[in-house]
Amino acid sequence: MILLEGLLVDLVPYGRAFQAREHAWYNNESMFWASMGERELLTRARMEQQRREEAEADQPETGVTFGARTKDGTLIGLFGINFLSCYHRVANLGAMINEPAYWGGGYGTDALLLVVDYAFDWLDMRRLWLDTMSSNARVLRQMQKVGFTPEARLRSVALADGQWNDEVVFGLMRDEWPGRDTMIARLGLRAR
Amino acid sequence: MFEGTLVDLVPFEDDYATYLESWMNEEAWFRAHLWDRREPHPEDAVKKYIEKMEKNERAALIGYQTKAGDPIGGLIYDHEWSRVRKVEVTFFTGDSRYEGTDEVLDGLLMLARYCFETRNMHRLDAMSLAFDEARIDALRRAGFVHEGTLRQHIRWDGDYVDVELYGLLEDEWPGYAARIEALGLQASDLEPKPKPEKKLEDEKALDEKILAP
Repeated sequence: MILLEGLLVDLVPYGRAFQAREHAWYNNESMFWASMGERELLTRARMEQQRREEAEADQPETGVTFGARTKDGTLIGLFGINFLSCYHRVANLGAMINEPAYWGGGYGTDALLLVVDYAFDWLDMRRLWLDTMSSNARVLRQMQKVGFTPEARLRSVALADGQWNDEVVFGLMRDEWPGRDTMIARLGLRAR
Repeated sequence: MFEGTLVDLVPFEDDYATYLESWMNEEAWFRAHLWDRREPHPEDAVKKYIEKMEKNERAALIGYQTKAGDPIGGLIYDHEWSRVRKVEVTFFTGDSRYEGTDEVLDGLLMLARYCFETRNMHRLDAMSLAFDEARIDALRRAGFVHEGTLRQHIRWDGDYVDVELYGLLEDEWPGYAARIEALGLQASDLEPKPKPEKKLEDEKALDEKILAP
């Protein structure tokens, strides 16, 4: 079942097949980048417990999680919204490509364009924002390409491999977004 | 009690719990909690909030009051992150007469002191609505550094308003005593307000009113 169809990846329900990959994914380098420097050493039992705790938390769940799947059926990570507010019309985006072999190949950008369009056109958000640590050159480059504006640099937030890194916050307003089709043309993104 | 220069920090209980029933419905509260939906907080919601903060090991709600014992409002730290020793701080002026005074600034300094000098934090995060000049002034005077602006981040009374982000690092914190010496705080010497009436008496008065011919 494809919810959002891209050129290199499709966004699909984040179901059991994805969850089955989490033990490998959360213990690899992808988590270090996604969590601004964490090195997870998670047992399966601990992951189960975290899942139960999340399910029981009384916080209203406002996130949207898609699984990212390549055209040949490889599950590569997740994309979506960590949390949103319908009254501020603001959504915080989150993403992880957990298979390092798929870093830098345009897969993440393809998925991001889908999520941005989805947040504006379906969820009626008027502002999207996200953050990353200052040593994450791939994401900084991607943000520039896709047209997010750097809005803040929070100093010394993230400890990564013994070094204090800043957190860079990016924002994108709806009236700055030319739409996915225009972005695809501008970036020269093509199906393979 | 944790003693400061113009204010003291105390556990948030007794009169504070009573005051919070109105404070949580006033402007100053919503400015301090800019992301939260503006909605009425009946007594049960206030009680639940206090209980939630008491249970949360990564957060606390602290009362601050004048040297004469007059409650001013609350100091809050939240989302303490132990791995990077970072915490979000905010404060509200429940008694609006103290808005923009050095008592509030001392409250913020005492919160910073507590976070750095007792809780061993590395970094404090703070944010403010762009128009909240009293808050921005207090943050600047306390030594917080402006780190950026989230554009039109908050829906506020018909507009979309910017949010200003601030940070203060442990190596920028000269220590409470040094900061106080440099600032030369002035007490505003306001008259202490009357103690809140006991709930029971309120209800009795209401009953009498309803039953009166």
